[in-house]
Amino acid sequence: MKLPKILIPLLVIATLMGGYFLRNAFTQPTAVMTVGDGSGKMLEWIVDGVRCRGTSDFFISLFHGVDGINGITTYASEHKVVFTYDPDKITPQKIREIIEQDVLFNDGSRARVFTVMSLNN
Amino acid sequence: MKIRIIRYTLMAIVLGLVIYLALGYGQRSFEAWCPFGGVESLWGLFTAGEFNCALGALNLSMMVAVLILALVAKKSFCGWACPIGFVGEIFGRIGNKIFRKKTHPGPRLNNILKLVRYPLLAIFLYLTYNAAELIYRGYDPYYLIFSGFGHGSLGMVSYIVLGVMTIGAFLIPMFFCRYLCPLGAVLDPFSRVGLAKVTRDEQSCTDCGLCQVSCPHDIPVQNRLKVRDRDCTNCLECIEACPEDGVLSLRANL
Repeated sequence: MKLPKILIPLLVIATLMGGYFLRNAFTQPTAVMTVGDGSGKMLEWIVDGVRCRGTSDFFISLFHGVDGINGITTYASEHKVVFTYDPDKITPQKIREIIEQDVLFNDGSRARVFTVMSLNN
Repeated sequence: MKIRIIRYTLMAIVLGLVIYLALGYGQRSFEAWCPFGGVESLWGLFTAGEFNCALGALNLSMMVAVLILALVAKKSFCGWACPIGFVGEIFGRIGNKIFRKKTHPGPRLNNILKLVRYPLLAIFLYLTYNAAELIYRGYDPYYLIFSGFGHGSLGMVSYIVLGVMTIGAFLIPMFFCRYLCPLGAVLDPFSRVGLAKVTRDEQSCTDCGLCQVSCPHDIPVQNRLKVRDRDCTNCLECIEACPEDGVLSLRANL
């Protein structure tokens, strides 16, 4: 069966769009931290600086031992972070302060590593 | 010529979008769109249910979409959308004007060199899966160019690799795509069975060879009844170049 030549670019455009819209079917986290059953109120933020597995792990390490944080899931390619937290123990403002704190580097300097870019909740 | 205008326009749009993302606009990085990232993510997903390094769902969904496209229309992604393929083709056309095809390898050497991408694919996947890091970044022209030799590049090694690829692109059209592209190696078996392919009417063909001359991959279309070659990107340059009406056409057949 003869096909019109214009079919190829149309298929390619459909592929690019299909790939984009299919992405939700393949969503998996980059890093996960859960305390207890991980339940609580949810908070979803775009955080500049969360861009790979290493930065995700470092981001999560900022919250080790922080009371009220029940879960953190990062999606590095989207720079997205999802918190589950206990609103009686910690507030979104406090979480933001922890994220945006200056971090001490090996050479003794301090700098901010993560910045909250958008607040979806 | 008309098809080439459409093709180059589409590729220029994709290249423009990649540059836009590389400049820091948009929520996702340019890297998130690379289908080869989907291949690199597979081991981490199977073993830990998590994406390695900077990979994400879009890499995986793009990989699936491009594999389906290859089953339907061979390596059309490479010939119609890939920004590295686009840059390689432009460089190759410039090189052809300068060197007049004197630098193209013969069919035998070409076929041997094409095998290089398979061990390269195996090595890069093994190292990536082993280290859970994107080892290929340091050698990937897509990453090196659009990240501006960003995190993961290997300094002088990356400069040399990109330099060799650039010189190669001028001397041999589609140098990277032909011999080095790991995504091309992944797509090869799918491309072989791709449904939509260029077909030649042997009775009307005058064997002028213009189809092969126009093919960016030097495929001897005049010796084929159906172009099943793994390298065919369905760019349709051969159909456009054919002086005889209806000898070459795009057809759906196995």
